[in-house]
Amino acid sequence: MLTEPFTPEFLAQLEALRLRTRKEFLGSQTGSYSSPRRGTSLEFADYRRYAPGDDLRYLDWGIYARTDRLYIKVFREEVDLFAYIFIDASGSMAFPSPEQKFLPATYVALALSYVILANQDHVKLHLLQDSSGRASPFYRGRRRMTNCIEFATSASPAGLLQLGPSLGEHLKRLRRPGKAIVISDFLMPAASYQQGFNLLRAFNLDISAIQILSRVEVDPPFSRGRLALVDSETQREINYEWSDDSRREYQSRLAYHNLEIRSFCHQSGIHYSLYVTDRELSDFIFATLPATGLFK
Amino acid sequence: MEFLNPTALLGFLALPLLLIPYLTKKRPRRLTFSSLILFTQSGTPTSRGPWGRIHLPPVFFLQLLLLTLLILALSEPVFSVRPTRIAIVLDNSASMQALEEGKTRLTLAQQKAESLTQELGSPGRVDIYTTTPRLQRVNAEPLATVQANRVIAGIKAYDLADAPIDYDQSLGALAHEQNYQRIYLMTDHPAGSQGAITRVISVGKARPNLAITAFDVRRSSIAATRLEASATISNFSSRDEKLRVALKANGTTLTSRDVITRAGNAATVVFEGFAAHPTYEVEIEGADALPLDNRRYAVAPASRNLRILAITPRPQAAASLKSIPGVTVDVVSPADYEKAVRRDYALEVFHFAAPATLPDNPSLFILPPERNSIVESGAPVGTVQVSSWREPHELTRYINFSLFRPTYARPLKPKTAGDIIIDSPNGPLAFALEHRGAHYLFLGFDPLPYLGRENLPMSIFTLNLLDWFLDSAGTKAQGTAEPIAFGTVEAGDTLVTPAGKKIALNGRATVFQDTYEQGLYEWRHGRETRWFARNLADEQESDLRTPSRIDLHDIVKAPGTSSAMFTFWPYLLIASLLLLFLEWFISPRMRRLMVRRRTVQPA
Repeated sequence: MLTEPFTPEFLAQLEALRLRTRKEFLGSQTGSYSSPRRGTSLEFADYRRYAPGDDLRYLDWGIYARTDRLYIKVFREEVDLFAYIFIDASGSMAFPSPEQKFLPATYVALALSYVILANQDHVKLHLLQDSSGRASPFYRGRRRMTNCIEFATSASPAGLLQLGPSLGEHLKRLRRPGKAIVISDFLMPAASYQQGFNLLRAFNLDISAIQILSRVEVDPPFSRGRLALVDSETQREINYEWSDDSRREYQSRLAYHNLEIRSFCHQSGIHYSLYVTDRELSDFIFATLPATGLFK
Repeated sequence: MEFLNPTALLGFLALPLLLIPYLTKKRPRRLTFSSLILFTQSGTPTSRGPWGRIHLPPVFFLQLLLLTLLILALSEPVFSVRPTRIAIVLDNSASMQALEEGKTRLTLAQQKAESLTQELGSPGRVDIYTTTPRLQRVNAEPLATVQANRVIAGIKAYDLADAPIDYDQSLGALAHEQNYQRIYLMTDHPAGSQGAITRVISVGKARPNLAITAFDVRRSSIAATRLEASATISNFSSRDEKLRVALKANGTTLTSRDVITRAGNAATVVFEGFAAHPTYEVEIEGADALPLDNRRYAVAPASRNLRILAITPRPQAAASLKSIPGVTVDVVSPADYEKAVRRDYALEVFHFAAPATLPDNPSLFILPPERNSIVESGAPVGTVQVSSWREPHELTRYINFSLFRPTYARPLKPKTAGDIIIDSPNGPLAFALEHRGAHYLFLGFDPLPYLGRENLPMSIFTLNLLDWFLDSAGTKAQGTAEPIAFGTVEAGDTLVTPAGKKIALNGRATVFQDTYEQGLYEWRHGRETRWFARNLADEQESDLRTPSRIDLHDIVKAPGTSSAMFTFWPYLLIASLLLLFLEWFISPRMRRLMVRRRTVQPA
């Protein structure tokens, strides 16, 4: 039994979506994503010289009439998709509360999972936590949505995340290239997330990055004065003088940080989108993500 | 500018306390945040010290200004104009002899007084006053600076307690009458509030002190031969003291005792079995803040032979006193009283008789006749029941008053103020008074004849009254300023004061009043010498820990005089109240404004 926000109406809308990939992958079964292999789909790929044994149905009689040579029409093979959704489950995702950040992140992941499952593709959920983390088996078909929810909601965010090493551990167990979706707050040094994305690229994955931030992180509601701020992951503490100026400076720093991520993603061919969790989930799924090119 | 209440300026020391609410308010709030990466890059991280950078709002400075004005207003600032007519009142009581780092308080006061007169300059005129034995002007005419300094330097401290002066009233009246622009009271009492014209200048600090507060040399009774002395040592400090007390005579130590006095308490030391001398001195060995009260003087009790002149129509009854050891009685009839030579008698007993005037010698009046000028008698009463008596009193000690039943009495009606010793429902039966240093006792019943053991209550009373009169014969030390009564003075008699000053006694003057020095006064009367002891008689002077505060207030300005001061502290008070109102008005609004500014921050 699915609960909010996965209502029948919401799921019906999700079924209308299909993930878009920028790369071609070798699927395991026939599906709806193009493969580098030649196959029997309707999408024309190329011509090649006829060889004995070729199916005569694919002879291009027009070329034969003009050139008196036999050419066979070659079509793309359409295969199913293997998608990997990496969810950041570090301590920072529990701020200001798991309900305000981690839960929306899992909802996004589950919504994307449902889109994939509804297309009879394969989805695998990965929890990024500490240096390793858990991963689900591949799920396929709508009925596995329940398993996805159970896996995603069984996690509780904690610990320190180093994106590169953590992704590296997960990638060691990957055998098939496909679509990788990383959901995180990306509140980490640029070198850290860049290392992670480069690892994914090295595995020939088509990457999408979804940055999740809570409203508190966008506009900290601190009253003016002295603060002792504690890092939720490292427990490092700093004394900080909070004022209107420092508030403005923080927000410009955040904007610059997000711009850096967006810029890197753009240069690296990665879909990037930002989800501030006080926004409606359906609005983000059905308006923002299609606009970034994640859906067909 | 001067401050009438400079103590209030100590409030400035408390001003830093104003920071405490801001410091505690600004103690960093501990908050967990998802990641500090953006904070370490941006903003202004503060130091890791306990307080960090103090952020003070504008309201703080408003409050600081408010408190500053309030403290200034409480310190009562005045703009002063240099006065030209001033009075300097020097406290010359005994406590001004206390030492402050080698100098007496009086010396310090004199130095301050001289510096005040120097500030006056040449047009200034000064009047000098002293406080003991009473508030009195020293100079006849207003003095110029140089003369005033000379007079001030010549003032000595008396061995007297503070005169009971209401300085606020007295100095106010003085300023009003003499048109002084300013009056300075130089004293060792701490200054409280100051007046606009009258000012207290305090010298000296609170100090611990040890003092002999009582000293007595006596016989245990009239018939005793051995002398005994007792001294009471009071410890006016906060710790126990062990000290040695020496009994001296003629500058020689007769005996000494060690005694421990508890903090804030008194201890008594008793000396017995010492040699007979005419005078005695008891002294605390060692130095303390006030040397004056470290010694005390006493005169040896008179010879155990008490010479009594009895004036009575019943000689046998009076002669019964001869049965008391040491008592000799000469009896004369009332008619022969005026002819009798009375000088050598220690006591005159008027038995059913009364003189025309109060005699110079101590006297006992027994049932005086109805028509006399000294005391009136009431109607005769049969058996009299005593209703009350003074206790403790030397005259009533050891008497069982339930057995004390005179068979005949005439209650007295005193014409002068005195002590009622024994009272009855019909009126006083025994009445005592002291006049010019001599004791007088009036009895409304007859204790004579002296029957010894056969009438014990009355006999004990008779012995008590003889002891009492014996004490009055100069044996008991008295306080300074108490007069010395000589009785009959002849030409050539001199009095030598403790300072060694010889005063020729006028034949008419039978009393010497100016006993302002502690010590032994020697009356040289022909070949005979009599001693009188006078000691500092006020323990408050010896207690240097907490002298009473002197508060002076603004006095009504005399018409036609110009004040030397312009008081403006009320304006400061008004300004501080306005600031208080402003702070009350602004502070909550500023807080609301800040909250609003924070809430409209763009996302």
